[in-house]
Amino acid sequence: MENLKYTEILQLNKELVGTIKSKPYEIAVLSNVTVNSFKEVLEYSCRLNQIEPDVELGNFDNIVQDSAVLTNKDMVIIFYDVLNIVDQVSDFFEDLEEEKYSNLKNKLFTEIEIIFENIKNTTSVVFNSFSSAYYNYNNVQVSKIETFVNELNIYLEQKKSSNVSIVNIDKLFTNIGFKQSIDYRFYHSSKAPYTFAFLKNYVASIETVFLRNTGKLKKAIIFDCDNTLWKGVIGEDGMEDIDMSPASKSGKFYHLVQRIAVFLSKRGVIVCLCSKNNEQDVLDVLRHHKDMILKEDHIVIKKVNWIDKASNLRAIASELNIGIDSLVFVDDSNFEINLIKEQIPEIATIQVPTSISDYPDLILKNVYKYFNLVLNSDDAKKTEMYKQQFDREKSKNAFSYIEDYLASLEIELTVVANDKAHMPRIAQLTQKTNQFNLTTFRYSESQIDHFMTDKKHEVYAMFVKDKFGDNGLTGVCIVKEDEIDSKNVIIDTLLMSCRIIGRNIEFVYVCHIIKDLANKGYQKITADYIPSKKNAQVEDFYNKVGFSIIENIDGVKRYKLNIADFEPKKVDYIKINTELD
Amino acid sequence: MENTKIKQVMSLVFEVPLESIADHASSDNIENWDSLRHLNLILALEEEFGVSIPDEEVGNLVNYKLIEITINELVK
Repeated sequence: MENLKYTEILQLNKELVGTIKSKPYEIAVLSNVTVNSFKEVLEYSCRLNQIEPDVELGNFDNIVQDSAVLTNKDMVIIFYDVLNIVDQVSDFFEDLEEEKYSNLKNKLFTEIEIIFENIKNTTSVVFNSFSSAYYNYNNVQVSKIETFVNELNIYLEQKKSSNVSIVNIDKLFTNIGFKQSIDYRFYHSSKAPYTFAFLKNYVASIETVFLRNTGKLKKAIIFDCDNTLWKGVIGEDGMEDIDMSPASKSGKFYHLVQRIAVFLSKRGVIVCLCSKNNEQDVLDVLRHHKDMILKEDHIVIKKVNWIDKASNLRAIASELNIGIDSLVFVDDSNFEINLIKEQIPEIATIQVPTSISDYPDLILKNVYKYFNLVLNSDDAKKTEMYKQQFDREKSKNAFSYIEDYLASLEIELTVVANDKAHMPRIAQLTQKTNQFNLTTFRYSESQIDHFMTDKKHEVYAMFVKDKFGDNGLTGVCIVKEDEIDSKNVIIDTLLMSCRIIGRNIEFVYVCHIIKDLANKGYQKITADYIPSKKNAQVEDFYNKVGFSIIENIDGVKRYKLNIADFEPKKVDYIKINTELD
Repeated sequence: MENTKIKQVMSLVFEVPLESIADHASSDNIENWDSLRHLNLILALEEEFGVSIPDEEVGNLVNYKLIEITINELVK
């Protein structure tokens, strides 16, 4: 997968879609940065492993709120990137005041707790460690951001329950190189920091998590013998000249692979042999070669014969009574590896690399991916005990928890009307906002200018800030007086930027506008919801505010509100500043 | 040659049939052309043609013609 181009993955996805007949494996991806192309890579990797994925991306920068909603998934993957955390509080973290530092730290601690609480019943959660690699100024001194990141990571480890897997992002950066992982071009323009190479490697590294959860981990590893367990060909070179000595230049790599095989047999992995040889030759090596540490005791089944390897591997699976897809096959021969790939694609294959020093490493990478290496059942029980204890401690109602959290943010809204200084930003929001946008009408600056000047229109703009920073102009509402009934006003546009969704801001904002319209002498409001590809989340918004539906034509819903009957929703913790008269 | 390849890439990224990528194709008439897929399109084009599209161009490439001109310029 690592060598595939993006278009190749798209093409392969197209071919694979619908070929896997199983219940979709539901994955939610929550992130505070843009992770474009991640979905396609993840889908491809699932399909390669015979899992049909159903991937849903959360709202941009809305991890906490999304984690409360997307709780019934099989897997939740969370990208909580330090880059965007830092960008929101400070352009220069090293000079951040102590108070802000500890505020920010406490905010993140709380968020981590809420996220873990919200997703405690999700089978599997993947959470990335925080990284300070973006700010690597000096390798001898510890910067403030490094200290901060370390504190977060320690907290993460303390709070995680057994369903959470932490991906060590710094290790990933090391594997492929930081410059190959991060592309600041797209970060500055679109908040998309990760390169395609990084995302492919990321998916490869979490493969083991979804294999584990879908019961697709492997059970047995089958080794060829010549040039796989030792250097040389026993049938030609003889006992004296095959090499697996820990003291010899290339023998030591085969020695190490044998050590790994022994280790696996101790961890409950079934180790087998499958070799084209005279059986007696191989038995002699197993029994009498002084450097042979993999012994008959470690090996469950030996297929040493001249039958083709596909038949042998099928026989091994059936004798062990395990699925054919539970096997991993190791061989040096291109021919044998391709034969198996072609005949039994469900079997994972590892070909001994030409550069032999990479061999043990390659085996280990696959071993960690495909096998469960938990020592014994007591270990597994222990984690379960920890998990239950964690759950008891956190029996708090998740809803009240979120309300407390939102209250702690000290959210403040400011609403202004018809302020021409903000025309460009307002026009931009009408053009770009898709998710929280009730009608999705797109307007140019000059149209906005016209609405602001026209007496029959009002253009409201909302600014949002909280104790951690200023989100700026993030909400727009345009209303116009009904041409027939001057006591009625029509909401033409109502939108909010997705980064402030999920904090109940929308209710305070709309209530405030309704109040202002009442002050202007209006008695009734008409509002439409027009469905688009992206705005399903606000389908019932007017309902929730207290409007009544009067019409539904092909999903376009028309609502009405008598202002006199309106009961505003109580959201005490959001403060509203008004510059309206 | 490049032109067909560009359209093939666009068809894959936006999940629409190749025939529907006309010369006047743009983010206004291809429904799937949103900001996320735009990034994927840039990624796919860069890989496909072995080029690096400059920062300031990335946001501008919102229709087929502009992409064609830019890519042909870059592969020269």
